[in-house]
Amino acid sequence: MSAAKVKMREKKMRNQPASVQYPSSSSNVESSTQNGADAPGTGKNADPLKGGLSEVHPSTERQKKTPHQSGWVRGHHKDGGGYTKEMPKYVTAGAFARARAAEVSAMLKAVRKTTSSSRVFEALPKHMRRRAMSHNTKRLPHRLREVANRMREKGLQAGSKKKKEQAKSKSRKARRRHGNLLLEFNRRQRKNIWLETHIWHAKRFHMVKKWGYCLGDRPTYKCYRACYRAMSSHCLLQDLSYYCCIELQGDEDKLLAALSQLTSKEAGPTFAAALCLSGRRQGSVMVYRAGRYPSQPLGPVTFLWRPRTQGSVHRQLWIWAHPTLKQDLLPELQTVCQCCEAVLPPAAPVEVNPTLEAENTPEAKPVPGTKRKRSRKDATGPPAKKILGDGTRLPSTPVSWRSSSNGIVINDLTMEIVRYRLIGPQSHSVLVDTLEAATGCDEVPKSQTCSLWWPQHCSDEAKMTLHQQQADIFNILKGIYSTAELPSGTVLGLTVDDPRLTLPRKRVKALPCVKQAQEVDEEKRRKLMLEGVPEPCCQSFIWEQSVRDNVTDNKISEQELNRMRSEVLVPGSRLSPTPLQGRVPILLVEQPGKQVGHEMSSWGAGWDLLLPKGWGMAFWIPLVYRGVRIGGLNMSLKHSQNKAAPHFPRDYPDCPAGMRFQEEQEAELLNKFKRHPPAKRTNYIKHGCVAPFRCPWQQLAEEWEIIVQEGGSQTRTTAQADAVTEERTSQQAISITKPPSRFTVLRNRKALKLLSAWCRPTTSKGQRPCRVGELPPISCEAVTSFLSAHAMSLVWVHVSLPSKGKPEYHAMLCVPTPDDLKALGNRQGTGGPQEPPHRDHFKSRIKRRKKDPKKAATPSVTPDKPDGKKADLIFASDLDTNASKDPKSFSESSSDLVLGLWPDPLPSVASHCSRVTVGWVTQGDFSMSAGCGEALGFVSVAGLLNTLLNQTSEHKGKLLLRNPTSLHYRFAKINIEV
Amino acid sequence: MTEPRNPSMSSIPQTGPAHTDSSSPAVEMDPVEYTLRKRLPRKLPKRRNDVYVNMKTDFRAQLARCQKLLEGGGHREICVHGLGLAINRAINIALQLQASSQGALQLAANTSTVELVDDLEPEDPDEAGEPMTRTRNNSAIHIKVFYPDAQ
Repeated sequence: MSAAKVKMREKKMRNQPASVQYPSSSSNVESSTQNGADAPGTGKNADPLKGGLSEVHPSTERQKKTPHQSGWVRGHHKDGGGYTKEMPKYVTAGAFARARAAEVSAMLKAVRKTTSSSRVFEALPKHMRRRAMSHNTKRLPHRLREVANRMREKGLQAGSKKKKEQAKSKSRKARRRHGNLLLEFNRRQRKNIWLETHIWHAKRFHMVKKWGYCLGDRPTYKCYRACYRAMSSHCLLQDLSYYCCIELQGDEDKLLAALSQLTSKEAGPTFAAALCLSGRRQGSVMVYRAGRYPSQPLGPVTFLWRPRTQGSVHRQLWIWAHPTLKQDLLPELQTVCQCCEAVLPPAAPVEVNPTLEAENTPEAKPVPGTKRKRSRKDATGPPAKKILGDGTRLPSTPVSWRSSSNGIVINDLTMEIVRYRLIGPQSHSVLVDTLEAATGCDEVPKSQTCSLWWPQHCSDEAKMTLHQQQADIFNILKGIYSTAELPSGTVLGLTVDDPRLTLPRKRVKALPCVKQAQEVDEEKRRKLMLEGVPEPCCQSFIWEQSVRDNVTDNKISEQELNRMRSEVLVPGSRLSPTPLQGRVPILLVEQPGKQVGHEMSSWGAGWDLLLPKGWGMAFWIPLVYRGVRIGGLNMSLKHSQNKAAPHFPRDYPDCPAGMRFQEEQEAELLNKFKRHPPAKRTNYIKHGCVAPFRCPWQQLAEEWEIIVQEGGSQTRTTAQADAVTEERTSQQAISITKPPSRFTVLRNRKALKLLSAWCRPTTSKGQRPCRVGELPPISCEAVTSFLSAHAMSLVWVHVSLPSKGKPEYHAMLCVPTPDDLKALGNRQGTGGPQEPPHRDHFKSRIKRRKKDPKKAATPSVTPDKPDGKKADLIFASDLDTNASKDPKSFSESSSDLVLGLWPDPLPSVASHCSRVTVGWVTQGDFSMSAGCGEALGFVSVAGLLNTLLNQTSEHKGKLLLRNPTSLHYRFAKINIEV
Repeated sequence: MTEPRNPSMSSIPQTGPAHTDSSSPAVEMDPVEYTLRKRLPRKLPKRRNDVYVNMKTDFRAQLARCQKLLEGGGHREICVHGLGLAINRAINIALQLQASSQGALQLAANTSTVELVDDLEPEDPDEAGEPMTRTRNNSAIHIKVFYPDAQ
């Protein structure tokens, strides 16, 4: 008998009276006792076997021993249960009764005792069950309560052992008390920064933790189309405060000299562009590592110069970057500006502010005694202070760096400035409706020194005239119908009243009122439209640290404001003297809409609103009350897609942030894929999709480089390309030690223009013939010379599907064969060609893996993906090991075989399918502005040029697009837009 | 004709860049150094019976839209606006409407000039050039299609 069986038997017998015996084995047969002659008190004994041995009662001995059968036997036995035929001659009444009594008690005990897992209420019939019975034992019938209570206690004890650390949670009321709630919120934002609108968003949005922030991804309600409509006809609001601002201060020429290392004029205007330098426009630029122009890009940034002050060369520059870009950009800026001295922040500035405020507020507000007491108590109690700005950073972390050699100062203003983006043609109406230029304050006597910044400014004549000019310009905005009418990137500085004071009582939709404004300032409006905002009006006090801090510290709390409102004589009327604290310096920046392409130009233009920190919610709610829609990260992706603009970091595969994004995305998609049962997964191998979750750009660029080198300008057939890649693999095996040159994304404006002209159909209805005189027509020589410069490049293309089809991300862009194009010419309406289904060689291998692990890889499997750690590892192992160890390396790689996915050394990506792949789509969807499927993606320059050379002029720029989950190719038109 | 609005303020809807006119690249400046970027024509609020004609939408669809307004929509008059290249099409639509109504409809055409704004962005390497803005004029037509009141 195995140990487990013994254990089970013991468990079974534990509560049985000793007289009850099950036959276990022949070994203990003789030791067991007979029916009806049990020893008294053996029922108590836990171990029947032992009891049988040790407590042999005299009465038992008298019994006749049966050698074969002993005890009660469970079930039916052939020989009639094996009872002895002879009945006992006499029965001792006392012993007999005792034995029976023990049996009865054991039986009763067994009945009462519930077996392991069932709860008390589970024994009840269905109709007697009640909701939450396990929680509240009083819902049980009275007779069961005691048992249930006992069980519950036992359960609680067991539970408390497990999670002893968990503190006894306070009551909900205590938890929701303001101070405790704040503490809890502060604890929760230690890891991921919360924006100021976090709570508002968390109630309405699906939140995601990304880039160290908690961000709203998409609303929980259905509003995809409504948001699109808002973007194209009214206004969509987004909180972009997670964008990081880096401030540079220093002399203009030194700053420009330092920054010029990061940019290149070939890729468009740089930091030094005249209009941006004056501070009248916001500029955007692509940043590279210092002096590494085409090869090592970092990412796109927007920048804003503070307008010059008279007679000073000292300038201030804000660089706005995406948080994933900041970690690369900041060290680069420090090296470029030689700013290595970290300026330690002044001793705990965070602690200074709350005490200041705590001192200010009790004096400022004449509140009843109880309230004052509480506020005093709060001030002395634990500092449950609302976190403003970056909560994840330690107070001792330096945020400022100074250079000893050239005097440049870098400040990290992350989370110091709130940035809201309003997208849509009516966003200026929303702004005009919400904001009001600050009212002056004449009644304040000048002798009184005030801690607030506005009264001090009011006393300065020059500042007030400037404010008046700014207010005038802001009022002109009323007469404009669409945001796109203004020059793109216009900057307007302003000081406004607290928008909470003019909050409408109901949510209204802000609409332009052109008529009443028309006759007022026709001339001024024209001037604004043509020339933009004059330079002095771009100045704002938000640039000054002291003013920002002053405004943030002296903000009237919501509670205080409501109290002041309740004291107004006429309920609902405006507070008549606007409180002095309620003046906020802001900056308005116009965002250009769609700038490329011919259709839907300036779609999605809007305004950015820059506020000092702490004022986020005070402006957010009034904006929401003007009938705007709110969008999350999802909508900003759609916005850039409709604008045909690349979206950072998704569409920057050559930047470090883009690479990180791709890795994350791959892991996420793979996880999602693996969550499906294998039979329900798409078999991507059968669909001929080599990499459904990532785009191996490097491999693609390398393959195309070699195809072009080998074959010149001929069209590659699949077999040829295959041969080439195989050959290449052998080459690579030899020259593996040489690091391969990395692929880059082509951003040279001149080269892009040339490409754009080449892939445009030269004769087509509705399109003007482009100015061919300036650009060389496409030819072999031109292509060769172009490729010599940009062979390893990818180019950003805009894809539109003229017929059916909705492109998805990672869809393949392929080259149509001449037959396909012929078929397209014949029957316009039909879709595209079909890909023949592929065979999944790996499926059988996954099954056979355990039996035959030594099967070699197919010859088409080529280890050519040099970027990515895994591939490198495999390379390394391939190099180290020889042919003898080869199967081993394969078995290693086969250990992570996933059904339906190619294992890691991918085959040739370009020539895997019947149509040669030139690129992939990075984002695609049905475009509601164009009414057809539209996608954005990259193609290899070499592949594209090779294709264009072989296409006739009417079919220039026609490619095939195939989704990873489909075998159907669709015709697509590509455009390269500069 | 009682045109309620200032005729010079008319425009076409934003979806229709109908002003794909033959604006030759600026003669007075070097075309290499500047990129021409056209802004949209100024947009004004429109009434229900305003129809802005563009070159992108199918002609029949625009005609059907006008007919629907006149017959089903209960409007006694509609205004058909066309700018630049779309003038031809606006006239065409108006005439088709009149022909299909067997003379019940009357036309009153009005022309105007619309001021358009172009941005010229410099592409010079030393980045000293200021972006320029220039205005140019384009013709527009406003055709009132209406049932005469005498009936």
